[in-house]
Amino acid sequence: MGLLRILKKMKQKEREMRLLMLGLDNAGKTTILKKFNGEDVSTISPTLGFNIKTLEHKGFKLNIWDVGGQKSLRSYWRNYFESTDGLLWVVDSADRLRMEDCRKELSGLLLEERLAGATLLVFANKQDLPGALSKEAIQKALALDEIKSHHWCIIGCSAVTGENLLAGVDWLLDDISARIFTAD
Amino acid sequence: MDIQGRNTRSCGENIVEMVDMDEENFATSSSSAADTAFDAVIGCIEDIIMEEEFQQLQQSFLEKHYLEFDNSDENKLSYTPIFNEYVDLLEKHLEQQLMERISDFNMNNFIELLMQHKEEVPGDIFDMLLTFTDFMAFKEMLLEYRAEKEGRGLDLSEGLVVTSLIPAGSKHSGSTKSQ
Repeated sequence: MGLLRILKKMKQKEREMRLLMLGLDNAGKTTILKKFNGEDVSTISPTLGFNIKTLEHKGFKLNIWDVGGQKSLRSYWRNYFESTDGLLWVVDSADRLRMEDCRKELSGLLLEERLAGATLLVFANKQDLPGALSKEAIQKALALDEIKSHHWCIIGCSAVTGENLLAGVDWLLDDISARIFTAD
Repeated sequence: MDIQGRNTRSCGENIVEMVDMDEENFATSSSSAADTAFDAVIGCIEDIIMEEEFQQLQQSFLEKHYLEFDNSDENKLSYTPIFNEYVDLLEKHLEQQLMERISDFNMNNFIELLMQHKEEVPGDIFDMLLTFTDFMAFKEMLLEYRAEKEGRGLDLSEGLVVTSLIPAGSKHSGSTKSQ
């Protein structure tokens, strides 16, 4: 790693975090991002590239990266792993048919060396939909209890209503800051 | 592992005498030659990024890639490898120039010193170097370049707005805006 990237890392140590938001297409990643940012979430089209928002929360600067989740885009995810402090894995809780696909993609990510140090937050999104699986059911479907390599937590939420989004970020922030900022 | 060197060529006025810089040494002589050497490297970096050659490097990079960038909020996946190429380019240039100007310059040693001295690096230099690795700043620069090329002014006043997370659960707060 060269000079500029090292400088950047030094800077990031100062109450700044990089969060990477991934998940299958139509999970609601961009909706979550826009909701956080106080934007209109009624007309969101599938993400073909990526979005970045910078948010200020509890004295931290959070850089949230949201990358499109369509199958053809997933091979690009790796371009965004570097320096990730927290991985937000977003699940469409009503998409029962793709839960296995969802589990596989997540377990693949957890093997990635560049994500080894990241805290994992699973957002069981779309809890407002009638057919949604509970967060307990999703915890089981994604075999979260088998994860030993990362700190993790699952939170049921709704990007549309905003329910529990902050609770999720609060947990993530606490976990990351306990890891990084007290380690110095 | 020492940065040391009797300088033959130095950066502008900064005649550097780099001496032994073991950590132990360094710790006991805080305002010593080590500091002077460190300051000299910082001065050298400043010189390099202000030079015509550096600007031209940036300029030709912009020229090569600006058409790929457009003003939509969502970023194309293709931006990322272009951005990485940009950081590599500047980084390599900087490192290469430092090696040319300071004999026996050792990047690893310098970086170690940098971590210990980071409070002493002039803020504007630090910020400028950081801008080179900031994706959003990079995107804005390309958009600005494109706007200039195409004869449009670009309003960057809303370029990067940091918003509070607090209103997340509530309806949108009128004050927040993404770029």
